[in-house]
Amino acid sequence: MGEDVVLSADQISKKFCRDLRQSMYYGALDVCRSMIGRVSTRRHHLRQGEFWAVNHVGFALKRGETLGLIGANGSGKSTLLRILNGVYEPDAGRVTIQGRVGALIALGAGFHPLMTGRENIYLNGTILGMATREIDVKFDEIVDFADIGEFLDAPVKTYSSGMQVRLGFAIAMQSDPDILLVDEVLAVGDASFQKKCFERVLSMITRGTAMIFVSHSMSTIERLCTSGLLLSHGKQAFWGSARECVQRYFGELGNDNLLAKKSPTKIGLGEVTFSAVSVYQDGGSPDNPNIEVGKDFIIQFSYEFVKKVSDKNQVRVWIKTFEGRDVQRIFFQECPFIDNKIYPNEIIVPLKKAGTVKIHVRNPRLFPQTFRVDIGIAPLDIDVHLGALADAAAFNITHPATEQMYLEYGNMTVTNFSYDVTVS
Amino acid sequence: MLFLTQQGTEANITVYEPEQRTRMGFVQSWLGMARNLVRSRDLIYQLFKRDLLSTYKQSFFGIFWIVIAPLIGIVSWLFMNYAGILNPGDVGVPYPVYLLLGTTLWGAFMSFYSASASGLSSGGSLILQVNFSHEALIAQQIAQTAVNLLVNITTFILILALFRVRPQWTSLFFPLTIVPIFCLAVGIGMVVAVFSVVVHDVTKVVTSFLGLLLFLTPIIYGPRIPNPLIQEIIWWNPLTHLVGAARDVVLYGRIEHPGGYVLAVLLSVFVFLLSWRLFFVSERRVAEKL
Repeated sequence: MGEDVVLSADQISKKFCRDLRQSMYYGALDVCRSMIGRVSTRRHHLRQGEFWAVNHVGFALKRGETLGLIGANGSGKSTLLRILNGVYEPDAGRVTIQGRVGALIALGAGFHPLMTGRENIYLNGTILGMATREIDVKFDEIVDFADIGEFLDAPVKTYSSGMQVRLGFAIAMQSDPDILLVDEVLAVGDASFQKKCFERVLSMITRGTAMIFVSHSMSTIERLCTSGLLLSHGKQAFWGSARECVQRYFGELGNDNLLAKKSPTKIGLGEVTFSAVSVYQDGGSPDNPNIEVGKDFIIQFSYEFVKKVSDKNQVRVWIKTFEGRDVQRIFFQECPFIDNKIYPNEIIVPLKKAGTVKIHVRNPRLFPQTFRVDIGIAPLDIDVHLGALADAAAFNITHPATEQMYLEYGNMTVTNFSYDVTVS
Repeated sequence: MLFLTQQGTEANITVYEPEQRTRMGFVQSWLGMARNLVRSRDLIYQLFKRDLLSTYKQSFFGIFWIVIAPLIGIVSWLFMNYAGILNPGDVGVPYPVYLLLGTTLWGAFMSFYSASASGLSSGGSLILQVNFSHEALIAQQIAQTAVNLLVNITTFILILALFRVRPQWTSLFFPLTIVPIFCLAVGIGMVVAVFSVVVHDVTKVVTSFLGLLLFLTPIIYGPRIPNPLIQEIIWWNPLTHLVGAARDVVLYGRIEHPGGYVLAVLLSVFVFLLSWRLFFVSERRVAEKL
């Protein structure tokens, strides 16, 4: 290993089997083989039903470096992390680690609900590889950091879930690792504890601890990481600067790819049809779904009722993340919810039998990412869609050009953004 | 303390490679596992404490249950004795004593076996979350069993006193005679532990088979069986000698078949050492199947 390199992964691969029965058979075969001391020569080959969960991944990590591990769900991040943590044995390649590895993956592993916080500190600490004497020394610091106060001698069962996580985190941080593996756990606890965790991690990094950080929050990756590793279907798609890695990630999720993957699905009664759905930057071309971060954009679509029976319909538009999490709903209707009373934010727009809706979204706070849009129309009084189109369109919020904009949009918090609606 | 941890970090280089342990020699793998056990002694202790105490945590009598349960057992033995249900002929000592010692030893064998067989699967999610020496799980389970065995033996001493049986001076060797029973049980258990993670039926098959062995071991009946074929089968059952010797040193002051006993001891030590190696080289491979 080169100077200062604390962890190097050399072309590591890991295969799994999709079929349970086959996996059982292979497992028994492999165990027998290794028992009689035969080193398998066919480990690099896939048998029927197997696939590479991690495929030829190689990188190096130096002291004080932070590597962001990104990729879509199922791209092999957790498997890779488990190999690095020594839980899974790689099927090919080699991992060399210098120093102690600490994992913030499963906080409070092995906690026993009936045992007190004090007992669990010793239990969990030893599971993480600390000696009892070592825990004796760090005990006060752990209790202090976890901030569990008089609950120390109460069974962990009586703790709130936040307290349990805090205790787990406090113990894990005390194991004083040279390499820290973090799997999205920084996003636990309340805001003040999160800040404390963050500061703690940062101070460890400045003291020379190397870190591998798995997260779906690209803003955190970019703020925290010096380098990035992008996994795609188990393969190493990119290894380099964190910034570029994140951009590649968005590129991968990008427009062409995405629209090819998700085609619109019609749902509802079929009494309304939608067409010409597009999302584009204000002032841009309706064909271009790439929107600069922070810029206003337009969601536009045409609708047509087969037969318009009522004047009490609601138009519903959902903006979702690529993975399908609701980000924002835009609802408006033809008449007030409650007769004669219009709520402050209620938008009333009468609909014709057919027409085009244009929603102008102002000052959106969406972090660079791909989003999807669902649209639908339903009567106000019945919760059945007259017609709806899931995954009607997708759009990309593109990367900002300057560092300054990162700071501004880095922390994506999507709260009700304002919009207005025109129907023609 | 700071000094200690820093020193630990300087020298520590860990390598993960495919089939690392398979490449190890026999002796090397025994030493490796022994080293792992010594290193994880704190962990074994903590897991042991967790499981021992947690069983009795939300209970009124607490840890006293360890003693209460066998005491109730004694009462039932006494009842059966005075009711005259237990009388299978002359075994030289009161039959309940003969039976209780035999079943205690058999129970020790079975629980050492199942403790080690369930070692890996009892680790479950922990194995998938944290990297630690899995041997600790088995050692921990065995320690629980050992505690139970100690309690059972204490109960047995009470029974001896109740029936006014005076143990032979050779009882001093009793702890030694437990060792081969332990070796055979844990030896079988460790192999089952690895296989049962991959194929769940393995535990069931082996456990039922071992259960059958109870009837091929002179435990509930005396050692003299008229049928020569059955006699032959019983003689080739290693547990006949292992359990028999442990019982004989306490009750009769001799070992009935010294030749058979030596063979059985050699076999169990061999099984133990072999399976220790088998466990060590293959247990890492099964983590992903948990």
